[in-house]
Amino acid sequence: MKKHLNNPDKCTACTVCVAHCPVAAATPNFRGPKMVGPALERMRLSQDDYEPSLDYCTNCKNCDIACPSGVPISTLNMLARAKYYKSFKPKLRDRLLSHGERMGKLSESLPAVFTNMGMAIGRKLGLMDLVGISDKAPIPHFVGKSFIKQFKMLRQQSYPDKVVFYVGCYINFNDPQVGLDIVAVMQANKYEVIVDEAFACCGSPLIVNGFFDEAKQNVHQNTQTLQKWIDLGYPIIMGCTSCLLMLKQEYQELFASEQVNENAKHLYDASEFLLKLHDEGRLNTNFSLLNERYLYHAPCHLRVQGMGLPALDLLGMVPGPTTQDVDAGCCGISGSYGLKADKYDIAMRIGRKLFDKIKASKIDAVISECGTCRLQIEHGSGATTCHPLSVLRRAYEKNNQT
Amino acid sequence: MEKASVVVIGGGVTGIGILRDLCMRGVDALLIEQRDLAHGTSSRFHGLLHSGGRYAVKDAEAAKECIEENSILRRIGKHCVEATEGFFVRTVDDDAQFERKWVAACHKVGIPAAEVSPSEALRLEPNLSSRIKAIYRVPDAAIDGFRLVWQNAASAQKYGGRIKTYCEVLGIEHSNGKISGVKIRNVLTGETENIECDSIVSAAGSWAGKIAALAGINVHVQPDRGTLVAFNHRITSRVINRLRPAGDGDIFVPHGSITILGTTSSPAEQPDDTVPSTEEVLKMLDIGEALFDDLKDYRILRAFTGTRPLYSADPNATGRGASRNFVILDHSNDGLSGFFSIVGGKLTTFRLMAEKMTDAVCKYLKINAACRTALEPLIEDPPPELITKARSYFPAYGTNLAASRLGTSGLERVVKRMQDHPETRQLLCECENVTIAEMIEAASDSFTYSLSDVRRKTRIGMGTCQSAFCTYRSVGEASELGFAQDSTTLFKEILEERWKGIRPVLWGNAIREAELMRGIYGGSLNIQ
Amino acid sequence: MTSRNILKPSPIPSLSVGIGLGDKWGDKIMRKSDIVVIGSGLAGLVAASTAAGQGKKVTLLAQGAGTLTIAGGIIDILGCLGDGSPANNPIAAIPRLAQEHPYRKIGVETVEEAINYFLKICQEEGYPQIGSCNQIQWIPTAAGTLKPTCIVPRTMDISSLEKTTNRIIVGFKYLKDFYPRLIAQNLAAMPGYGGNYEIVTITPPFGGRDLSNLDIARWLETDEGLKEFAVQLSQKVKRGSLLIMPPVLGTSPDYRILNWLKKNLECYLLETVTIPPAITGLRLRSLLINHVKKLGVKVIEQAVVTGSVIENGRCLAVVTESADRQRSYYAKSFILATGGIYGGGLIANSDQVIEPIFNLPVKTPLERDNWTNQTLFSNREQPFAKIGIAVDQRMRPIDETGTTILSNVCIAGRTLAGYDYCFEKSGNGVAVSSGYKAAMSV
Repeated sequence: MKKHLNNPDKCTACTVCVAHCPVAAATPNFRGPKMVGPALERMRLSQDDYEPSLDYCTNCKNCDIACPSGVPISTLNMLARAKYYKSFKPKLRDRLLSHGERMGKLSESLPAVFTNMGMAIGRKLGLMDLVGISDKAPIPHFVGKSFIKQFKMLRQQSYPDKVVFYVGCYINFNDPQVGLDIVAVMQANKYEVIVDEAFACCGSPLIVNGFFDEAKQNVHQNTQTLQKWIDLGYPIIMGCTSCLLMLKQEYQELFASEQVNENAKHLYDASEFLLKLHDEGRLNTNFSLLNERYLYHAPCHLRVQGMGLPALDLLGMVPGPTTQDVDAGCCGISGSYGLKADKYDIAMRIGRKLFDKIKASKIDAVISECGTCRLQIEHGSGATTCHPLSVLRRAYEKNNQT
Repeated sequence: MEKASVVVIGGGVTGIGILRDLCMRGVDALLIEQRDLAHGTSSRFHGLLHSGGRYAVKDAEAAKECIEENSILRRIGKHCVEATEGFFVRTVDDDAQFERKWVAACHKVGIPAAEVSPSEALRLEPNLSSRIKAIYRVPDAAIDGFRLVWQNAASAQKYGGRIKTYCEVLGIEHSNGKISGVKIRNVLTGETENIECDSIVSAAGSWAGKIAALAGINVHVQPDRGTLVAFNHRITSRVINRLRPAGDGDIFVPHGSITILGTTSSPAEQPDDTVPSTEEVLKMLDIGEALFDDLKDYRILRAFTGTRPLYSADPNATGRGASRNFVILDHSNDGLSGFFSIVGGKLTTFRLMAEKMTDAVCKYLKINAACRTALEPLIEDPPPELITKARSYFPAYGTNLAASRLGTSGLERVVKRMQDHPETRQLLCECENVTIAEMIEAASDSFTYSLSDVRRKTRIGMGTCQSAFCTYRSVGEASELGFAQDSTTLFKEILEERWKGIRPVLWGNAIREAELMRGIYGGSLNIQ
Repeated sequence: MTSRNILKPSPIPSLSVGIGLGDKWGDKIMRKSDIVVIGSGLAGLVAASTAAGQGKKVTLLAQGAGTLTIAGGIIDILGCLGDGSPANNPIAAIPRLAQEHPYRKIGVETVEEAINYFLKICQEEGYPQIGSCNQIQWIPTAAGTLKPTCIVPRTMDISSLEKTTNRIIVGFKYLKDFYPRLIAQNLAAMPGYGGNYEIVTITPPFGGRDLSNLDIARWLETDEGLKEFAVQLSQKVKRGSLLIMPPVLGTSPDYRILNWLKKNLECYLLETVTIPPAITGLRLRSLLINHVKKLGVKVIEQAVVTGSVIENGRCLAVVTESADRQRSYYAKSFILATGGIYGGGLIANSDQVIEPIFNLPVKTPLERDNWTNQTLFSNREQPFAKIGIAVDQRMRPIDETGTTILSNVCIAGRTLAGYDYCFEKSGNGVAVSSGYKAAMSV
């Protein structure tokens, strides 16, 4: 990537990004992506100052999706934040929320009941609020046995075709069942799944909260580990679209290197990978009929990857009522953003349209690849949520259970 | 009839500098300028405050003057100057022998040129080409021509100086071989006026020949065209000079939020030959690529052209061959006492030029007063409490530049306006971060007769969108403020002026912006 | 077999399909489409809608949200001819346009069909428009000028001008993109708009920086906002007045807010055209994108098309490039609606203009000086504005000899050569009719 590409040159100040920014729609305090991104970037290159409303940007990427000129708006915003945090220390709250991996590892060493109890007590005592975490927000639940721990106890069928599964923090510490479902689906397609503990957190929460240098360490760690497997010829699949975006795209935008760029070619969303098998005539399409009615919610971080909605295509192959795309915009949580006390209301306002549409539909569950989207949707609409590959697993195994 | 002891013709930096010096020495002086201040070369140059490095080899005297004036201007004009420092950069294609010659010449003249390793230079300026071989730091700086002129004017007015803009000189009056007055015409109203005076100083730059001709005197000023290119963002935070014998397109100067690349040199037909050509732009980009690999990918906002007033007693010397040194002409040698012309020179040494010129005039008027222009700042620093207060009203990144433009009393008025009318805290120009409050301040200024005058005082419309959005807002505000001109005239005034600079660079993102501009004003608002 | 424009393949096979393979796995798999539309601006959306309405399987590759939010959602069909003479009846004026003009390629009947089709969609989606392609309407702008257009939403119903002489311009405190005084000064001098204009200012309960029409529109979408607005207005305006205001009557393609206000205030309302963000465009875009999705069009966002696979004068696939890999989209036909120079469909370099996806020839004036008129407002067309791809009567690209270059590719919208939409006021009209025609021709 040419060294000059993260500059505001392509912007024509057309305001289309502002019109599509969910945060600008939810609060007049945010000056909009055009201003805090490319417009102020020109000022940032010559002055030291800080635009406070930059704090409101969720890095949801809707501005990038809407921009007719190809301006790297969200990248400029993240780089501006990184510059800001070089001089100003991040708050304790942001430190807590961005170090999910550390929290997760800590929680592993305690019985789960204590971790979650601790969080609940903290909430009741108003400690969360004191620290700046909203006491209304849906805090992710920590489990005792991480996915990786459970994976080690699994006995997989061995196959010549192998795939490396980059797990990500959310699946590992908060929703390991999804990981197990992904393994089961890959097994049903005669793939053996490899998991490598050397992978670190993708770094997404670190970056949005200003821990740029720490994120760089993760980038390095992940790049090396990915390279090892890619050199052996294995594709890498991922079950979380935000982790995928980070490893594949944002690493290039923020920390470009030859290796990072090369690695991106070998990263796949799990559904995308299955569709690829389908194109090659190798997908196991032995799906049972599923009677459930589902809505699918496309995470914003998936929509910006330019691959369409592979999960929706895949679900379309499962006999039963057609899964509809709820198509109601951003859910609002944007990772750790919606958990913050001063941002919770904004996040809920952003997601209102989505929640209303879900509540108005008669469905059994909402499907989405992103863990925090699922969290927010459950919180805002009361609906049950699941990962697309969990649905696929049921479709494979339903008949086998009778 | 209006009277003055001295009439200065020419509202560029030299003329205004002379006005200031005269007034500080107690002389009753009045300045006439044909358009807005800084209409000529003073608004159409690099924006470079020379360290003198560029002249060290060929013109040691000019170089020495530069380095001395450079430090004076940093002191007295600190609200016009950005102390960016500069690099002189030799690429693989440039002559190493010249480098040695240059280094020696700098030392001789007293320009501190310190060597920097290529890796360090690239660390400091990551956009520089990997083909750079030798780099030297010099105390070049960036200077804003508009602010320089307006702040000199403010200082002159403080000492009683009078200024008339939009007035053309029709005739120079004399009797018995002595200056008696000047006849002027207001180009906006058409009214003519006679001003009685004892002495006239022509600091008319590229028009010096025309002014002298009014008195039947031949002053050979050959206007020489120089075209410059403005890039959308700061590709360098330092001045970058090509270390080779002075040529086209070898200087990059950061200027606020943009970068200026220049320049070219070719004889101009007229003093106001200000239409840039695509050919000149492309030539400079080809040359400039040697310093910045990705230069042709960077977005160009516009091109602009000015004429440098080259004086030569020898009518055959042209271009960069003619001396850049200044010359003071006492026209008593031509039979007309009290009439002086100051010609040649460069912006960096304007204060020195003004000093010498004022010395000559004062001698003629038999006034004995020392020059103090180097001792007193142009404007006072706005007090820290005012800046702090301003910060609470201005948007981010807006206070410092506005403070530099407005000075203390202007800033006070703007802050009060923002306090009393919160809606004026909004940005009128979102690209260059200029608030509505500041626009109103500039529009209310006694020297503002048009929206272009507002632009020159504020930087409105000089950023990324090249007035695509702020034109509408400016015209809207103008109607609220009761501007005389009808809105169609106002729309066209701004947009045609921007178009002049966009036309020669109509490709890449500039053509897209132009289409947006046409879409808004032609397609949507249907301005005819 | 000659192939052009095959991009460097990535080391891992890209996500492409052999022709016909997609069909083997059932009709639910959308790996090969009937039509791939490149571009989700007005032309692309109308093309996708038309094609899907004919039962075709359509994939729409979108990069960015198009320019509706910039240019607005009203349909200018033809305001004047190339020499500046007005076109009071656009349909009747079309035959007088130059041969190269897109309308001449599309054909008058098809233009009319296309506009009627557009009106039908809006009607179906609960956002009926007013106007016809036979008559110009002169609607007010935020500069107090009038602009000629044909199809507008009901929020821009100028028939209300005849209903009352009590005219009020409604401004909003803190809103910097709407100047009532400027509008009042200028409108009073416009034919049909003469008279006295009162100015009323509404104060929203929020200030803040960079407030635009969008913020006001969103305020009016809330119950409290709408009520507050009505309360303030009713204190300042008489019943039966005409309220001229910025386009702030909501961001959705419906008349909920308009109808509520008309009922509760008993006034007429008239939105003006403004500078971006153009709310009328935002409404129209959301209408069209929902409409095409309902018709089963598959929309792929952030799909940056960088090349194509051509064989024997036919396009087999177009290729997108993302951070990870290239992806190929195979189809029987393709519609290029990439927005011309502004949209990135044509790239203007200092020496030439190129069309990057199919490498189609783009005719440009030889001398740079001939690209533009000396002045911006020149009372004639700007040459550079007419640069684009020349097409045959089926909207397919042609070379200098008039020979069709690609038999299964059609061009729609701004990428077409031969018209200066800013001068003649024809932007959205050409977009709608060329999108419609392209979809009918492939």
